[in-house]
Amino acid sequence: MINFNKVNKTYPGGFLALKQVSFNLESGEMAFLTGHSGAGKSTLLKLISLMEKPSSGSIQVNHTELADIKYKQIPYVRRGIGMIFQSHNLLKDRTVFDNVALPLIIEGVSHSEIKKRVATALDKVHLTSKSKCYPHMLSGGEQQRVGIARAIVNKPPILLADEPTGNLDPKLSLDIISLFEEFNAAGVTVLIATHDLGLIARMKYRTLTLKEGTMINDGIVDGLQAQGTRHEQHS
Amino acid sequence: MSNIHSSGLKSRSSFLARLLTLPIRHVQQAVGSLGNLWRTPFTTVMTIFVLGISLALPATLHLFVKNAQQVSEQWDSASQITLFLKLSTSEKSAQNLVQRVSLYNEVADVRYISAKQALKEFKVLSGFGQSLEYLDENPLPATLLVTPTQRASQAEAANALLAKLSKEREVEQGKLDLEWLTRLEAMARLIEDIVLGVALLLCLSVVLIVGNTIRLAILNEKDAIAIMKLVGATDSFIQRPFLYSGIWYGIFGGILSCIAVTLLAWYLGYAISDLTELYQSNFQLEGLSIREALMLISFAIVLALTGSYISVRQHIKAIEPNAD
Repeated sequence: MINFNKVNKTYPGGFLALKQVSFNLESGEMAFLTGHSGAGKSTLLKLISLMEKPSSGSIQVNHTELADIKYKQIPYVRRGIGMIFQSHNLLKDRTVFDNVALPLIIEGVSHSEIKKRVATALDKVHLTSKSKCYPHMLSGGEQQRVGIARAIVNKPPILLADEPTGNLDPKLSLDIISLFEEFNAAGVTVLIATHDLGLIARMKYRTLTLKEGTMINDGIVDGLQAQGTRHEQHS
Repeated sequence: MSNIHSSGLKSRSSFLARLLTLPIRHVQQAVGSLGNLWRTPFTTVMTIFVLGISLALPATLHLFVKNAQQVSEQWDSASQITLFLKLSTSEKSAQNLVQRVSLYNEVADVRYISAKQALKEFKVLSGFGQSLEYLDENPLPATLLVTPTQRASQAEAANALLAKLSKEREVEQGKLDLEWLTRLEAMARLIEDIVLGVALLLCLSVVLIVGNTIRLAILNEKDAIAIMKLVGATDSFIQRPFLYSGIWYGIFGGILSCIAVTLLAWYLGYAISDLTELYQSNFQLEGLSIREALMLISFAIVLALTGSYISVRQHIKAIEPNAD
């Protein structure tokens, strides 16, 4: 679903953000991406979501070779990727409902269908009662969940999350992660970038570790036995 | 999340469904952009006023040219010869002269204004009514207004007729009002050229004003645009509300300029009707016709849309989402 092949990324000015990064995330897989600040996590996510172009190497997302994508096609590729950010990136002057409906409005879905799907998405993140609120009326955790509802409302096959638990306490973080596990159980490919190593250690998922732009580790952080237990823990 | 779309590129709704929702989407975005303008009333009103005034100026000049043409047409067809008779001419010999002149082949019509009549009109129209009471005798001569036939009203023929008429012994002086007419025409042409130049400049300024206003609106919405791009909005989806804003600016600016021009014409109408009475003309100031008003508004829309389109093309592509 997400395939990196010897990807290099050099920013203007010569800074080498990613060096020969290769990995393959299968459809329906869930993985963490970790590393210190500046290790290249954000760059990697930006490459997947077409915010940046690689300097060399090839990337396939959703069976599409990103190098072949023209400017006009970028929006259509992005519709297949649900993106969640630490800073929530919500529209401040619109209600929770309108924020979550945005991807559907963009796709030109009918009004009745939008109502139905937004209601389902808000129900998933337990925010049905807040649909008429504006983002500033919500807590950080709630805003994050609105962002998640928006990312899943058009049922994309891929979810990308950049520090989704960054500002949240451990209990809320766990709630958010279990939401991702739920989506993953439904077949969505999930990639979560985080530097919260404690969280990863508890989850025991496949972890991609970046250090100064190089992939130094790819695998289960805490032993292999974790792989079979993940669904029993959070269902 | 039980059923999942297979691919991002394929997950677009069916073509037919899109075709059906597109007009609804357009109406929603048009109304939405009107709401956006409403939310920043000060900027909106200022912009509309600037547009209205910028467009009112060339429209007023157009009215001026249109009316000047009407005036010169009116006078052109009736290039008259005025014959002032000698003061000593008696009423009887004056009537005699009228008879003779009206028999001329080149003359279409003769109007006789007696000295008494002339004094009466002068009293009414000149504003010197009171002081004229003190005069012992009438200082005004009797006058003949001679209208040449169509053929004789051309400059040369009219001049020949004037020379002929001036030889009549009752005539003190003859006058042909042609020179000022050609001057007026030349002036009207010059003003038309000036109008065209000024109108072009003002149209350009309308495009730039709207372009700049939309640019500021886009920069204001920069974050929202980045977010929309992140969730897969195409450039045309993002730019549509801004283009509709441009259309609204055009509509309101156009209407405002129509109102301004109409008010101005109405106000000037009074001053002009006083003036034209002095010249015994049946001239009426013509305001904007409905057709001209509609043309002005649609022209404003085209200009404003051009301005917003240029701005949108320039700036929306430049905004790129950033995950930070």
